[in-house]
Amino acid sequence: MKILIIEDEKELATNIAAYLKAENYRCEFAETFRSAIEKVSVYEYDCILLDLMLPDGDGLKILEALKKENKQDGIIIISTKQAIEDKIAGLKSGADDYLTKPFHLSELSARIYSVIRRKQFNNANHLQINEIDIDLLEKLVTVNGQKVQLTKKEYDLLIFLTGNKKRVISKAALAEHLSGDMADMLDNYDFVYAHIKNLKKKLADAGSADYIKTVYGMGYKWDA
Amino acid sequence: MNRLLNKTLLYYTFFSAVILLISAPVFYGMLQKLYTDDVDEAIMLRKKEFLTNNIATLTGNDIPTWNKFNRDIRILPDTITSQPKDTIIQETFLDVLAPEWEPYRVLYTNVEIQGNSYVLMIQLNLVESEDLIKAIVWIYLGVLVGLLIVIFFLTRFISNRLWKPFYTTLQLIDQFNLEKLVTPRFDEVNTYEFQKLNQGLNKLISESLRSFSAQKVFTQNAAHELQTPLAVLQSKLDLLMQDESLTSSQAAVVQSLYDSTSRLSRINKNLLLLAKIENNQFADTEKVNISELINEVLPYFTEQADGKKLSITTSLQTAINLLSNKGLTEILINNFILNAIRHNVEGGRIIIISAPDRLVIQNTGIEHPLDTAMLYSRFGKNATDTRNNGLGLAIAKEICDRYNWQITYQYDGLHNFSILF
Repeated sequence: MKILIIEDEKELATNIAAYLKAENYRCEFAETFRSAIEKVSVYEYDCILLDLMLPDGDGLKILEALKKENKQDGIIIISTKQAIEDKIAGLKSGADDYLTKPFHLSELSARIYSVIRRKQFNNANHLQINEIDIDLLEKLVTVNGQKVQLTKKEYDLLIFLTGNKKRVISKAALAEHLSGDMADMLDNYDFVYAHIKNLKKKLADAGSADYIKTVYGMGYKWDA
Repeated sequence: MNRLLNKTLLYYTFFSAVILLISAPVFYGMLQKLYTDDVDEAIMLRKKEFLTNNIATLTGNDIPTWNKFNRDIRILPDTITSQPKDTIIQETFLDVLAPEWEPYRVLYTNVEIQGNSYVLMIQLNLVESEDLIKAIVWIYLGVLVGLLIVIFFLTRFISNRLWKPFYTTLQLIDQFNLEKLVTPRFDEVNTYEFQKLNQGLNKLISESLRSFSAQKVFTQNAAHELQTPLAVLQSKLDLLMQDESLTSSQAAVVQSLYDSTSRLSRINKNLLLLAKIENNQFADTEKVNISELINEVLPYFTEQADGKKLSITTSLQTAINLLSNKGLTEILINNFILNAIRHNVEGGRIIIISAPDRLVIQNTGIEHPLDTAMLYSRFGKNATDTRNNGLGLAIAKEICDRYNWQITYQYDGLHNFSILF
C-alpha cells in the first residue's frame, strides 16, 4: 500500500509514517504544494493525507486537480481548521474523510484503513482475521461460522482495533472514537473498559482466541 | 448619590446664610459707629462755638436763663465731679414727654464764667439715628437676600448649561460596551476642559478597543498555532506507546503525558471556540427546537453518566423553538450537561427541564453553593477539580450573551442553572 503524506510539518509527517509502518504501508512525503502536485500527477496512491494549509498553496487545489484527472486515490484531509464549513468544503471537493489536528494516530490509521478498504475491495466486504469474519456491509461478526451479537459500540470498537493491528491504542483515542465529538470534552474514559470487557467476553464465548491485550495502563492492542 | 449641581447649590446656600448672619450685625455696628462719630463731632463743634461765641458775654446771673432755654447745652455747678471731664460718654436719660429711657452722647467740661468754675454739659440725642440705622440695615438685608436668591437660580441655570456636555459624555460612557466594538461619538464642545475630557476618553476607548481586538486575534492565533505542535506531541506519544521495551513505570509516565496532552488540546479547542464566538463566526441562525436538541445530544452522555451511576431525568415541553445558531445551541446544552456530570457525585441526579421561557438543569454535587462571582469567568475553576479546564461555563455565558439569554444560578440542595430565553 502506498500512502502520500502532504504535510509541511516534517515531524508530524514522519511520526505518521512511523506509525503506519506496522501496517506495511509505504509512505512518501511532500512538504510543499508544488512537490505534492508533481507527485500526485505522476504516481498513484492508495491514500493521500492532505494538509490544507501549505506554505505555497491551498491544499484544496490539489483535491481539485486530482478530481479533474479522475484519479481514484483515497484522500483524508488533516487540518487545523475545525469549523464545520471547512469540513463540508473539503468533503464536497472530493475528500473521503476529514480529521482535525491534533488527532490520535490510531484514529488516523483506522480511517486510512477504512478508506483503502472502500477503494480497493469494492466487492470483498469481508474482513478475515484468523477465525473471526467481519461482514462490513451487514456489520455482522462471526467466529468459526458462529454469529456474535455485538452492540454498535462493540462493533465500532472491533473495527477500530483491527484497523490498528499490533499497535497500542490509547484509551483517550478509543473514547473519542466511540463517543464522537463530545468525548474530547470529557476526561473520564472508564466506559471504554466496560466495552472492551464485553467485547472480549463475547468473542471468547464464541470460541475466538483472546486478541485484545491490555498494555499497562496506557491502552489496548489487537494482537493477531 | 448627590448630583454635582445640588452639591454646588447646597454649599452656596450654606455660605449665603453664614454671610447674612455675620454681615447684618457687622453692618449695624459699623453704621452705628459712623453715626456716633458724627454726633461726637457735632458736640465738639458746639463746645467750640460756646467757648468762642458765648462764654465771654455770659454772666453768673444769665446761667439760670441760659439753662432754661437750652436743653442740650447746660451750665451746671462745678459740684458735679462723678462724671469724667472732656471725654464724650454715652448716657441714658429719662425722656419726660415720652416716658422712656433714651440714649445720649454727653460731654462734660470745666468752664470759667467771671472767675467762677462751672461744668458745661453738652448732650445730643441718639434716638432718631437708631431708627434710621435699623431701617438701613433692614433695607440692606432685603437687598442682600434678594440678590442671593437671584444668584441661586442663576447659578443653577448656568451650571445646568455649562455641565450639559459633561452629562452627555457621561451618558455615552455609560452606554459603552467594549465587546460591541463601537466607539461612542462625542459631540463637538466649545469648553476647553470638556473637549480635553472627550479627547482623553476617545483616546482611552480606542486604545482599549484596539487592545481588546488584538487580544482576541492573539487568542485565536495562539490557539491555532498551537494545534500543529500539539499534533506532533500527540503523535510522538502515540508512537512512544508502541515501543515494546517500555517498562511499566515508563508507561505510567507516557500515560500521564498523554493525559496532559489531551487536556491541553481540549483547552486549546475551547479557546478557539471562544474566539470564534467572539468573532461572530456563528452568525447564521435558524429555528432550533431545544427539546429535540436535548434528546439528540443526551445519548452521547449516557456512558459518562453511567460511569458515575448518575440518573438523568428530563421533563421537556415540545415545540420550543429558538432563533439561534444550531451548532452554538448544541454546544451550550452540551456544556451545561457536561458541567452537571463532571461536578456531580457518585450516584447523583441530573434533572433537565425545558419550558417555553427557560431551560433548567439541576444537579447534585458539592453541598454548598458555588461562588457566583467566579462562575463564568475564564479559568475561574473550582479548586477541588483540577481537571476541569474552566472554560465550559465561560463559553456557555458567551453564547447566552450573544442571544441576550440570561443565565442564573441558584442552590437549594441542588445546583440550579437556568437559561432564561
